[in-house]
Amino acid sequence: MRAHPTRTAAFVSLWAFLMALLPACGQAPGQTETLRYGLTLVPTGIDPHLNASAELGIPLSSVYDTLVFQDPGTGAFVPGLAERWTISDDGLSYIFELRRDVTFHDGSRFDAAAVRANLEYVLDPDNHSQKAAFMLGSLESVEPIDEYTVQLRLREPYAPLLDSLSQVYLGMASPAALQEWGSSEYQFHQVGTGPYRFVEYVPNDHLTLERNPDYAWGPSIYASDRASIQRVVFTFYEDRATRAIALESGEVDVIGEIQPRDAARLEQGGGFVTYPVHIPGQPLQYLFNTQRAPTDDLRVRQALTQAVDRPEIVETVFGAYSPVAEGPLSTVTLGFDPGTPYPPYDLPAAVALLEEAGWVDTDGDGTRERGGQPLGLHIIAPNWGSNPEVAQLLQAAWQALGASVTVEVAAGFGALKESQAAGEYNLIGVNFFGTDPDLLRSTLSSDGLYAWTGYRDSRLDETLLEASGTTLDPVHRSALYAEVARITRDQALLLPIRDYVNLVVANTRVQGLRFSSQGWFPLLVDLRLAP
Amino acid sequence: MVPAPGRPAPGALSALIIRCLHGLLTAWAAVTVTFFGLRVGAGDPLAGILAQGLASPQQAEALRHSLGLDRPLPAQYLSFLTGLLRGDLGRSLYTGLPVLRVIGGQLPSTLALGASGLLVAVVGGLALGTLAAWRKRSLWGRSAASAAALATALPVSFTGIVAILAFSTLLSGRAASSLYALRHLALPALVLGIASAGAIGRVVEAGLSQSLASPYVAAARARGVPSGLRLLWHALRPALPPAVSLIALEAAYLFSGTVVTETVFSRPGLGRLLIGAILQGDYPVAQGVVALAALFYTLSHILADLVSLGLDPRLRGKG
Repeated sequence: MRAHPTRTAAFVSLWAFLMALLPACGQAPGQTETLRYGLTLVPTGIDPHLNASAELGIPLSSVYDTLVFQDPGTGAFVPGLAERWTISDDGLSYIFELRRDVTFHDGSRFDAAAVRANLEYVLDPDNHSQKAAFMLGSLESVEPIDEYTVQLRLREPYAPLLDSLSQVYLGMASPAALQEWGSSEYQFHQVGTGPYRFVEYVPNDHLTLERNPDYAWGPSIYASDRASIQRVVFTFYEDRATRAIALESGEVDVIGEIQPRDAARLEQGGGFVTYPVHIPGQPLQYLFNTQRAPTDDLRVRQALTQAVDRPEIVETVFGAYSPVAEGPLSTVTLGFDPGTPYPPYDLPAAVALLEEAGWVDTDGDGTRERGGQPLGLHIIAPNWGSNPEVAQLLQAAWQALGASVTVEVAAGFGALKESQAAGEYNLIGVNFFGTDPDLLRSTLSSDGLYAWTGYRDSRLDETLLEASGTTLDPVHRSALYAEVARITRDQALLLPIRDYVNLVVANTRVQGLRFSSQGWFPLLVDLRLAP
Repeated sequence: MVPAPGRPAPGALSALIIRCLHGLLTAWAAVTVTFFGLRVGAGDPLAGILAQGLASPQQAEALRHSLGLDRPLPAQYLSFLTGLLRGDLGRSLYTGLPVLRVIGGQLPSTLALGASGLLVAVVGGLALGTLAAWRKRSLWGRSAASAAALATALPVSFTGIVAILAFSTLLSGRAASSLYALRHLALPALVLGIASAGAIGRVVEAGLSQSLASPYVAAARARGVPSGLRLLWHALRPALPPAVSLIALEAAYLFSGTVVTETVFSRPGLGRLLIGAILQGDYPVAQGVVALAALFYTLSHILADLVSLGLDPRLRGKG
């Protein structure tokens, strides 16, 4: 029997069509050109000059260049958009000599006037900057000396200034674009000078960058002259449970904030690599309230510190990837002092301290009393960063010591502040990230916005102030922060738990993944995708 | 006077007007509770705004002033209400964008998800309920009834993850990610709609079982109305009004269900916008979304009343 010619033709063409479709399914066109990067939260506003989220820096630190860059290996500041700079002896004047070969993504030229326009945009009170404006110390004026030289003047010296100027929050944007779009709309039309240009941002959906083919002024910390991956698309995965799935299904090539369990499983399964990225700043920590009984007594604070097996807690909650914190600064932060380790776990010593302070279980109910008052502790734990789990383990440890412990979980920073303001806490979890140790002033200086220990000590305040202002010498600053670490430990002002480690997992196609000194931000320019 | 056929009686009309006024009152109450609830429950918005920027106390107060957050609460409430009457929902504290523009960016995605979810719920619910009541004693009927019960009990956060896992396992790797529409609309709509389909199915089943056993169905059968689908329609029509009211409720419920669905499926939308705005303290945005939700809730109830009037003539006479 003869096959029907048209039917045969139909079969053949259907077959050909399906075959053509097959590779298209497995490999979308231009796939090797596109890196898909998973972000973990949707920032409310992504203009780095005005908004504060760390997440926005993951894409945008490749859209902007900064006057200087910080070497992630050495911590030294290296030339960026400024070729060289001089700082006056009194620390009040910074003169930057700018590169002359830099153009913004919109074709306009980068010059001294652009630096001034950027800093004015950040400091304009009507723009409500939520971070960058607080990174400039007492900046008084920004004056172009000539087309490519600019002078910054301060009222008081401010040691973190170079560090600030190396961050995406003070990245240089095209003055024309800032002018054209204004402070609300600019976030959707960002124009920098970096290795990637900003293409599109749809909130809650995606953000797209495209390689800047003209990039020729990269800092020495970039290994490549210009980017090799054509396009980077960022999507958002707020639900922790969906992040590993997004990697496994191939929806993303890289994603951060993976849970330790998932990271281990992904690596074991093959095809994925875990990058534990250490984040400088403060470790996850609990501040003691020194103004409320029983933690107003130094001996009680010391006893509580020694009654906690911190390595055990870190192992239980965070798995193998996290170092145990040993002071007010995480170990990778400038000024961390290895010479002031925290007292190790020592239950008998803790019991002795409590009894010395008069806390004894007289009625044998398992809770210690003094003068008829039970040893009660109230912990406020934020609902992020595994704080509730840590607080539970602290609760168990201190109950074993004979305290009655309550834990309150605060949903969001507003709620945390609200609970704090009520003042009825003995410990509260709070910590900030950043490369310059000056961030300690907010929590440890008695006039800081988060001076939640209630501890007042003019020597501590003066040391923090001196390290912030009067000296720019990094060695001397480190000595001052060692002193801060000593006071903090000897007065038992806080209980450090673990240094923050962001577990980034990428599939094995992704090569050359490195991060900036802030930790969160990948150097996209150096990334490559293996075929 | 006999009302014209097919048109609501004057009594029903005034009932609708009262319903509208009730709706407005509900919307006002919801918005007011949100306004004060956020400030009491979630705390000082400035705390969230400054959570990642280390300001000095002086800088913090300057920012508070420039955002107008240092004005007395009643004054803030008053300007919020007057703005609302003008259709102005204010501006985001974080970006200065008009709230309407922020919401407008997310609304289409939520509408698409909500409408598809509702479609799944209505079609699935009617099918399950009818099958369960009509073939009560067969295996099919019993399975439909159990499926409806199970569907109402499973949370979206669970079914969502299972659906994503199943989807990416069945269509491994890259193929899964290139089927964008399926992954980003059909799957979430299915997950979102299933829970409501269960609830609707159970109401349809109850109503239909009752009317199938009622004298007028027996009468219709005696009159010779052929059994099967025609009889089913006869019995189904009076069983529908309670289901329609429930569908209106479910439509509002679906709106809240989008919060979890959008998060699990990483979809843009109002649900995620609302959660983010509350947690980060962007109150104007949170208030705007709630105002919109209240409006939507009110409208869907009024619509449900109208549809019920159209479906069941017996309701038209009642004030």
